[in-house]
Amino acid sequence: MISLTQAPYNKQLRIVDIQGGHGVRRRLLSLGFHKNHIIELDSRSILRGPILVRDLTSDTSVALGRGIAQKIMVEIVDE
Amino acid sequence: MRLLTNKNIFPDIIFIGQPNSGKSTLFNAIAGLKAETSNFPGTTVEHTHSKVNVEGKILNIIDLPGTYTLNPSDEAENVALTHVFVEKPDLIINVIDASILGRSLELTLELIELGYPMIVALNMMDLAEKKGIKIDTDKLARILGVPVIPTIASHGRGIKDLLYAALTVLGKMKTLAPIKWSKDVEDRILELEQMIPSDFPIVANKRFTAVKMIEAEKLLFDKMLMEINPSLKEALDNIRRALEERHNSPAYEVIAAERHHLALKIFEESSRVTRGRKIGWLERVDDVIMHPILGYFILIGVFLVFFFIIFNVGNPLEELLLGPLNSLRAYLSANLGRSLLFYLAEGLIQGIGGGVAIVLPYFIPLLFLMSLMEDIGYLARASFLMDTFMHRIGLHGNSVSPFILGFGCNVPAVVSTRILESRRDKIITSLLIPFVPCSARTTIILALIAFYLGPIWALGFYIFNIFLLGLLGRIISLFFKDPSPGLILEIPTLKIPSVKNMASKTYVRLKSFIKFAWPILIAGSVVLALLQFFHLDRYINLILSPLVEKALGLPKELGVTLVFGFLRKELSLVMMLQALGVSYQGLMSVVSQQQIVVFAIFISFFIPCLSTVAILWKEIGKGIALLSMALNTAVAFILSLLARLIIKL
Repeated sequence: MISLTQAPYNKQLRIVDIQGGHGVRRRLLSLGFHKNHIIELDSRSILRGPILVRDLTSDTSVALGRGIAQKIMVEIVDE
Repeated sequence: MRLLTNKNIFPDIIFIGQPNSGKSTLFNAIAGLKAETSNFPGTTVEHTHSKVNVEGKILNIIDLPGTYTLNPSDEAENVALTHVFVEKPDLIINVIDASILGRSLELTLELIELGYPMIVALNMMDLAEKKGIKIDTDKLARILGVPVIPTIASHGRGIKDLLYAALTVLGKMKTLAPIKWSKDVEDRILELEQMIPSDFPIVANKRFTAVKMIEAEKLLFDKMLMEINPSLKEALDNIRRALEERHNSPAYEVIAAERHHLALKIFEESSRVTRGRKIGWLERVDDVIMHPILGYFILIGVFLVFFFIIFNVGNPLEELLLGPLNSLRAYLSANLGRSLLFYLAEGLIQGIGGGVAIVLPYFIPLLFLMSLMEDIGYLARASFLMDTFMHRIGLHGNSVSPFILGFGCNVPAVVSTRILESRRDKIITSLLIPFVPCSARTTIILALIAFYLGPIWALGFYIFNIFLLGLLGRIISLFFKDPSPGLILEIPTLKIPSVKNMASKTYVRLKSFIKFAWPILIAGSVVLALLQFFHLDRYINLILSPLVEKALGLPKELGVTLVFGFLRKELSLVMMLQALGVSYQGLMSVVSQQQIVVFAIFISFFIPCLSTVAILWKEIGKGIALLSMALNTAVAFILSLLARLIIKL
């Protein structure tokens, strides 16, 4: 289990856990970040910037700040 | 049974959907040129009303801000919720982005729980088809128990069908039954339903109220319930605990998961994905725009082009329009002499002409380009790219959109801080917005600095302005202990903008300038002319002379223009010429270049204009509005003093 900030790009990732306060969890939930969802890291801006996450199930993209991304725990899906 | 009171003669139809579902585009297509739309979450922060006539029946249609769920997490969503909960609508039109059906259905399911009459507008069918998603609308309608009408709002397709369906559903007034979840969750909900006392305020129906009570965990509601009815609160906590133990996650997440799984199941049952994700040219363009290095070059390029176009469209237009106005002024001066009539006419010309010739040439292209950036979806991408830099000034990417809007006008920028979830971010952003050079101040910078000192100076002024913004952000965020919560922002798919849509948006924003600001501009100019005729401006100038003359080293006649600059910033520019009694071309005969810089700096930063102060007061609070006035005036004073000491021309 790793946090989203440590995860590799363009590899399928399964959301294992979302940590953090209930405010952040609620917001993530409403944008479709549920446990067991498969997501992919799309790109990352330079200078420790935010990351772009593509949700493969709902086919949407969400930009997450690093602080938020650290709270999303994922595991790499074996293909 | 609903009574036909005055308010409810016309049935209320609300448009509700997730951000970027094309809801406002659909609404616009129906209502004509009424509401604004964009490809950025949170543009419709205030709802828009419109009356439409369908087959002789008048419907009151209401466009609500985009919302992901019916559980409030930001203010824009609150606006939507108040409408759904308090002002019970006669019909809900749920607008869905068909290309992301799975996620969109979560809100649909929540809306069905309300039980109100409803229609689903399955929008962006063309996009779904491009993605290879085939949706069986009849089957979807059967599962959901509501009519499903396919639409393509941007091409105006399906709108007639939607309106006819609305009339049919309105005629029947059938309430909906919710689609059931897993048995154990349903059992708990029923248990709570039976415990709700008869005098408890019910929203929509008992089941919906019970579900919302469970979901309100840790929100304000819990505290209120604790005070009103502690025993019910205890029972509610027991039910939550039971759900939590069984599912191993907080009760509100259990409910969200139920909806989520149901939505995915319905998606799978009603649609077929014929081929995998095909990478089109828009996706390839997107990869470049969002590229970690190239993206920034493009961002800078976009802004340079942005301003280059505005200058190059605005400047010739301005000169073209100023010519006839100056001749008219000369003609009047020759024929009317220094009579009261001349002063009145001159005031009118300055006011009307100032609006037409100085403000509109820059304002229209700025508004149009702003709509273009929004509609394409670039605003969200700029927020993503700028997030890192925003962290340096104690904010995050979500504040980028208010700032960019601020270049157009600070007022909508302050309103758009509603998309920020934390009060801290809202306060810092709204204190900084008055330092963003809005179109009025851009006009001043261009008309004074670029025109008299050269474009390089104007560019320098801009760059300095942006650095100032950063510096102030750092300083202001020192006063807040909690860090910014961080960026969570949906990046909508890139879309090819529709010219019609952009034009209508430009028109709407322009209309508010013409209706609201222009009369003030004209009245202000006339009042100034009268003050001059009766030599009353002398007293204002006298009072302000310690500041204007002693501290800033400017001609004391400019004192009165500062007072009017508070009404509208561009007034200061128009009135500067009027107060000094010179034409635009003749300005350099009475002031030096250094004085122009000092004046431009002071006018740009001192006190936000009246409308900005008013909106700050309304949106953020009296304290922040007053603080903003003080902060701006202090910064303007210090900077113009420094400019006077440093710049030697």
